[in-house]
Parts: sequence; C-alpha cells; structure tokens
Amino acid sequence: MEPESLEAWLDQHAIHSVRTEGVTVDGLVIGKVLSRRKFTKSLPLGNAITELVFGYDVGGTPYLAWWNEWRRDALGDYHQQPDLDTLVAPRFSPGQARCIVDHVDLQGNPLPVCPRSILRRLTDRLAGLGFQAKAAFEIEFMVFTESRAQARRQGFRNLTPLTLPRALGYHIDNTAMATRYMDEVCRRLDELGVPWEAWHDEAAPGQLEINVEPADPITAADHALRIRQVTREVAHEFGHTVTYMAKPNEEYGNGLHVHHSLQRDGSAAFYDDARPDHHSELLERWLAGLMATINGAVSVMAPTVNSYRRMVGWAAAPVTPSWGEDNKSTAIRLLTRSPGATRIEHRVAAADANPYLVLATVFAGGLAGLAEPIPLPAPLAPAGWGLPPSMPHLPATITKAADAFAADARLREQLGAAFTDYWVNTRRWEWLMFNTTGGDASATEVGDWERNRYFEVM
Amino acid sequence: MAVRLEDDPTPLVCIIATKLRRAARTPELAVRMRAMRGVAALRSTVDPQAVTLRFEADGVTVSRGVAPDAEVVISADLMKMSDPDAPKPKVSGAARKPKFALSLAKVLEPPVGTWQEEARAFWAFASQHPASPRGIRVVCLEGGELVLGTEPVEYELHGKAAALLALFSGDTVLGEELLAGHLYAVGSLQHTAELTGRSLAWMMGG
Repeated sequence: MEPESLEAWLDQHAIHSVRTEGVTVDGLVIGKVLSRRKFTKSLPLGNAITELVFGYDVGGTPYLAWWNEWRRDALGDYHQQPDLDTLVAPRFSPGQARCIVDHVDLQGNPLPVCPRSILRRLTDRLAGLGFQAKAAFEIEFMVFTESRAQARRQGFRNLTPLTLPRALGYHIDNTAMATRYMDEVCRRLDELGVPWEAWHDEAAPGQLEINVEPADPITAADHALRIRQVTREVAHEFGHTVTYMAKPNEEYGNGLHVHHSLQRDGSAAFYDDARPDHHSELLERWLAGLMATINGAVSVMAPTVNSYRRMVGWAAAPVTPSWGEDNKSTAIRLLTRSPGATRIEHRVAAADANPYLVLATVFAGGLAGLAEPIPLPAPLAPAGWGLPPSMPHLPATITKAADAFAADARLREQLGAAFTDYWVNTRRWEWLMFNTTGGDASATEVGDWERNRYFEVM
Repeated sequence: MAVRLEDDPTPLVCIIATKLRRAARTPELAVRMRAMRGVAALRSTVDPQAVTLRFEADGVTVSRGVAPDAEVVISADLMKMSDPDAPKPKVSGAARKPKFALSLAKVLEPPVGTWQEEARAFWAFASQHPASPRGIRVVCLEGGELVLGTEPVEYELHGKAAALLALFSGDTVLGEELLAGHLYAVGSLQHTAELTGRSLAWMMGG
C-alpha cells in the first residue's frame, strides 16, 4: 500500500487503532497498540520502542554479559517501521488493524538483529542474481484443553490434548475433535489474508499442522507469524492453551519444516528436464551450500535447550547432516517429480525457531553454494535414524550448535557479523540460564525448567 | 596434573575445573592432588547442578552429575560456598575416605592472593577483549585503590575488599554483584556488560 492511500484505507475500514507486530530473534512478537493518529503521525519511521527488547532473553532476564556495537548505551529507542503491505483489518478485531513492522534505528536503517530485515537482505541478494524464491512453512503446534491459567497451575504437565491422547496422525476422529477450534482459526486466517491450504491431525496427541500456499519468503514468514498469533488467540478465547515448544512432553515434537524453490524468468530453476534425475546444476550447487552450512544452521533452527529434545533418532526429526530424494528421514528432502512441484524441504527446524531466521539461514547456505564451488556429498540412501555414532550427526546440544554456527564463515558472511555474534552470545546465554537457574543438565527428558520457560512464549 | 573436562561441559564443570587448575598451580596442593585417588561429587542443594570429580593417576576428570560410584559427596549451595556466612556443606562418605575427603576440601578451595593481586590477574585476561575499557580504577571502600590498563580510566569499580577479591578471583560475577549491591560501578552499560561477560568467562576458565 502506498502511504498516500493510507488514510482512505483506514477510513474505509473504520480503523481507530493499529497493532504493530515486530519479531525478535527469539521469535517473540513485540509491538504496541497505537491510536490511528499516532500510527499515521509516526510514519515513515514508525513508533518508538525501547532498545531493551533486544537486550533480554525469553525469560525476561537482561543479557548482561556482552554488548553490541549497534546497541545504544543509555537504553534509548529504536523504531518499528510499518510494512504497509501487511496492514490488515480483520473483522474479528473490529476497528483495530494489524501491521507487521521492521526494526530500524533512528535513521531508518534496519537493525542487524531484525530477523525480517535479515531475510529481506538475503532475498534481495537472490533477486540480484536473477532468482525469485518461494517458500512455505509446515506449522506444527499442540493444543490442550486446559486454559492457560490452569496449564500454568499444573506446571504445563499432564495436560489434556484437544485430540485423542494417543499418537495417531491424520486421524479423522481427531480432526473432528479439533474442528470447532480450527474452523475459527481458519476463519481468522482468511480475514488476515493468510492463504491456508490444509490442516490436519499430526502424530502427537493434541498436535495439529497447518499448511500454507507458497509465497515470497518475507510473506511466507509473515504467514507463519500470523498463524502462531491466531492459534494462540483463538485458544485463549476457547479456554485452551497452545504451545510451539519443540518438545513439551515425551510425545513427538513440533517441527517447522520449510519448503522452498527458486524461479528464474518464471521457470523452475531447480529442475532440469534434460537430466535423468531432473536436478539442475543450480540445484546441486544450492544443495551443496545447504549441506556445507547445515551444522551451523542447526543453531538457528533449534534455538532453545528444549529444541534438542526433539532431535533424537526415530522420532521423525532429522539427526544427521544428510539429504535424499523424497527421504523424510534426512535433514534435507528433495522433491523433483515435476517442474511445478520441484522444491527442497528443509526438515531441521523446530517449531520454536524463528521463521524469518530459518529461511534466512537456508538462503544463506544456498547462496554460499552459488558463491563458490562446494562438493556435494552423496545422498543418504538408508534411513537417517539409528546410524552408528561413527557417522556424522547434527550438533546435539545448544552449545555444540552455537559453536558450529560461530565457526561457519559462510553463514557469517551471508547473515552478517553483527547478527552472528549476537546470536551466538544469546545461545550461550540460554545454556547458562538453563544450567544455573534450575535446569537439569543430566536429565534425558523434558524438565520443568523448559516447560516454565518456553511453553507459553514459544 | 591434568584437569580434564567432559565433552560439552556445563558451567559448573567449567567452574570446578578452573578451581582445580588453580589448585594444581599451587605446589603444596599439586602434591596433594597427585596423591588423590577416588571419585567425589559436588551436589547443589538449591538446584540440579552437580559434578563428579574422578581423581586418577594421570589427572582428574570433571563431568556433570553425581556418578553412582562417587565415594565422597559434598552437598552445598554451590553458588554461595565462598560467602563468609555460607552454611556448612554436608559431606557423606568422608568417614570411609577421610584423607581423600580432606584433600578434596583443600583443592576445592585453593588459596587466593590479595584483591590487588587477583585484580591484576583478572585484568591481564579481561583487557585482551577488544570491547573492554582501556583502563579501570578499582576502589576499595576500606582503603586503597588500583588503576589497571591505560589512561583515561573508562570504568570504576568500588567495593569492600572481600567483594573485590571474590570478583577478581572468579568466585562471583560482576553483574550479579552490582545487582546485589555488593559492588558499585561508574561507567557505561556497555562496559558493565562486557566486564560481566569477562568475569563470567574468568570464573569458567577463560
């Protein structure tokens, strides 16, 4: 939307306030509800927001162990710059519009730790090479029938799944049990302009998955952001509770698989009809970049201590740095049946990952593969689970993954040194918090510390 | 005397290993450590933190948790062990291995220097970090001060000798001590954060 059309649009939808929605590296949505006058007056820079929101962890503890050059010493303000193309006026919140924002400094420059801006930078880089990317997330989450307050009283343990209390998947009885809730979710997604394609019962009790039409990368991540919000809001109104924790209990975990493809001049750039396997040379270079950076990428895709509970063998999540043709036990699954359906499914990310950063990290790896020749390892033919320890495995802890991310010069170059340093520090901080504020480093199962820290906010 | 850490160590493993390395640098304690054979554990009474120390002929290995074969187990509020009024730790198994338990207590509390000596050692480590202030002034509220680094001084730390000693010898973390009011600072948030990070790293062995 052009700024000059804004007033007319606000009039047309009888808007009296606008909710701004920005995202932190942890994927928390932060913003304000602004009066219409304040919203329009604050353009083009957007409303101010304290820089402290980039200076504390998901538990609310300030990061007091390092500093970043982009931070303001006296804890000043940054701005939430609205992306007017995301302005929506859903009927379910009459008079209140919603707008997704980018985080910028006082001069309007994107903050190096603004996930949406990082993704945009990489998407622009791709565009500069003549490619348009498309992406779509598979959004997994769990719904329980206890209210948030009740769930909290129970320590988020022994909750009642919205569906049958047993792992089935795609079960129509389960679907029926979730229909009233999901009908309302989907109605709201329609109003928000999120083109959902399908939802279904997933493998764990209470677990549901929503699929969305492919879109440009920023829009795809915006869709994921809005789906998270809507599923929470509707759950709250239904007296239910929702979590995007990677592993809230000992059932299957929540993933955030992301599909992506590249087009050049409207054609599928990953597909080559002339080759028997249909793999274009570009696909193989891109894939080589993804594989070369996959250990570091795990840090972004498994951002919490709890994320690694999901990444165990035989639990549907990948555990090896591997790729394969239509192989769901690998980290990267290739689908090259036809030009229109050709895509890469990156299966590492947990549901607690930040969708903007997940896509940015995928593109960072792919771009690294385009920037230099990298040997492509052979595909993994067997199942990717139960392999002997002598074979390569993905980093299995938050510290190992942070070390891999810190050591990856390719990811650093693509994602930026300022973001890389900030990210590594925040992950090591998360490890410190886990170990020194009540987490049990020897525990092999999900603990209370994890549930208390992540259940409600991830 | 080699001090080995488990793969992917926890903070407490790093902290205890740092103490053991300090002990190993002390001639009398190094002799004592070389003679130690057995398995000991330290268990926090306030949270799940725990470490096992395995003393063998070729060194000591520190790992998380309490090993089932731990012969001596010390239970304490591990974060407050250096407090002057900290409650006495509970020790089990000492009766069966009194000499080992005594040596364990000694090597876990290696001697420290004066606050000025410890400050100089800390500064030699912290000043290597590019974001540290160029110079700091340390003011002891009971008298005396020390300037470390180069002028102009960009950061000041004030506190009693015991609090300064605890910080510089790696027993406490700057940010926590400031929040608790045990130490005071004059300087930027940036330097407070960076020096807190340095003190954390110092506590965990650099």
